[in-house]
Amino acid sequence: MTSLARWALVALGALGLVTFPYWSGPWESSRFATTVIRDALVLAIFALSLDLLVGRAGMPSLGHAAFFGAGAYAAGIAGQRLATDQLPVTLGAAAAVAALLALVIGVLVVRSEGIFFLMLTLALAQIVFAIAFQWTAVTGGSNGLSGVGRPMLATLDFSAPDLMYVLVAGTFVLTALVLWGLGRSPFGRALMGVRENERRMRALGYDTTRLRLSAFVIAGTMAGVAGALSAYSTRFVSAQDAGLGNSVRAFVTVLVGGAGTLAGPMAGAGLVSVIERVVPSLLPPDLRIAEAILGIVFIVFVLFARQGLVGLGVARYASLRARRR
Amino acid sequence: MSLEQIFQQALNGLSFGALLFILASGLSLVFGMMDVVNLAHGAFYMLGAYIALSVVQVSGSFWLAMLAAPLVLGVLGFALEPFLLRRLRGRHLDQVLLTIGVSLVIVDLIGQLWGREVRSLSAPGGLDGSIALIGGVYPVYRLFVIAFGVALAVVMGVVYRRTKIGMLIRAGVQDAEMLGALGVDTNRLFALTFATGAALAGLAGVVAAPVFGIQPGMDTDPGLLYSLVVVVVGGLGTLSGAVAGSVLVGPADTFGKVLFQDVALAVIFAIVALVLLLKPTGLLGRIRVAR
Repeated sequence: MTSLARWALVALGALGLVTFPYWSGPWESSRFATTVIRDALVLAIFALSLDLLVGRAGMPSLGHAAFFGAGAYAAGIAGQRLATDQLPVTLGAAAAVAALLALVIGVLVVRSEGIFFLMLTLALAQIVFAIAFQWTAVTGGSNGLSGVGRPMLATLDFSAPDLMYVLVAGTFVLTALVLWGLGRSPFGRALMGVRENERRMRALGYDTTRLRLSAFVIAGTMAGVAGALSAYSTRFVSAQDAGLGNSVRAFVTVLVGGAGTLAGPMAGAGLVSVIERVVPSLLPPDLRIAEAILGIVFIVFVLFARQGLVGLGVARYASLRARRR
Repeated sequence: MSLEQIFQQALNGLSFGALLFILASGLSLVFGMMDVVNLAHGAFYMLGAYIALSVVQVSGSFWLAMLAAPLVLGVLGFALEPFLLRRLRGRHLDQVLLTIGVSLVIVDLIGQLWGREVRSLSAPGGLDGSIALIGGVYPVYRLFVIAFGVALAVVMGVVYRRTKIGMLIRAGVQDAEMLGALGVDTNRLFALTFATGAALAGLAGVVAAPVFGIQPGMDTDPGLLYSLVVVVVGGLGTLSGAVAGSVLVGPADTFGKVLFQDVALAVIFAIVALVLLLKPTGLLGRIRVAR
């Protein structure tokens, strides 16, 4: 396939995805698939942002939900306190707050590595969760923040189900494009160098601490945007959005799909959403074991297919090609 | 605060510290020996509490539960280690990730089997009352928890320093690979270590149940989070670190919640982050920094 054809195919796929509610009408009247895909795309943005750390830069963060939560709260609170529903204001506030938080936490964590990085991000994210959970006057505390404003662009109201979907899917495509560009940029290459051999990169003259910090802030900002989209979609923010469970969910998504690739976190988000949303409807209603199934799938991937769904796909493709020759 | 209140809170802090020791000692042991932060430790703790609930319902004996829960968890840990962690020997980060999966499975299955409501377990007969102590009454069970925690620490200290198994543990914490080269069956040693860690988590689940209750979410808070706090503050992988961490964190958390109420949780984790930043091996940790 020529690269032009490939681009055309990707563009067509993206267009099809963004316009899904408008051509699925005849068989998708209940809008179940639209909601599930919308939430899967929010998870995909969240996981893509985490993969910039886990997959590209080799920074296993178990506190990424802090930024998702910060973005969700910032979008909701900004809308309520500034008495505006305008998307540029609330989404801008979400991105700015998440970026600032990521800068503060990033400065503290980027020098640690491996298991210590994991525990440090977990501990710091737990502070954010504690604040969200206990600062009732601002965040609503354990009751959560309800009544998140509708996302408006001038007079266009995105809170209608179809338009909400388009907003999420459009942001998803944009995020994927930005990350694709980042991956090919000198910055992205340098990050992979840091992952593979940090000392060598330092010897080559790269400021590796700064590289890691930049990645941390970019990833945090994108997670904040994902959080804001989640807040718009459900019109609600829960303290659990910033909690350990949500960090774990993003991590599982990245690894099941395949870390270090663009397609991986997307595929992971698809699989996780199917397990969370579709599988329960196939099981008897009193059997609520979606999380356990997710856990088993995750264990199997870590043990036997560390490269995730994408790695399995690549291996299959390679073996098919080898046979054809 | 009056003097009596301070005394009461100090006892509360100590009994919480004793619980934390039982909880965190297993996590610390596994990390010291295997370089794995077992993120399923909180799930093991939760499972211990629910098993105790069922044992008490069936037999009526809290003491039997204190035997059965660690035993079941120990067997579970012993069975899980060869199938899961051993396959990824040497890949510490992947082993840590694996324990996340184990945790998801256990917690969800607990919810399915025992339900997702808040449950309670009363203290065993004889320990369920209160006694008069300096200007007030104090629950006997909490005093028992302090005594039990101290006794466990002493027993573990003796095993650690005076027995052959303790010698193997100390050697394994120093350098497990070298221990293997000297002819020790490290596979067996690791499986036993993991089993002991799980059993200690289960024991903590039983002992804590009458104080903290039994509910969804206990795997994270206090389970996993507080045991991480203790081992990080005290030092990963040493028994003395687990003791020091518990004695510090128990009272600090208790007084923090009384004095600062809302911000206490944030303060505790700020302390953890500070220790990780300034002295990643913990206040008393002397081990090498594992990747």
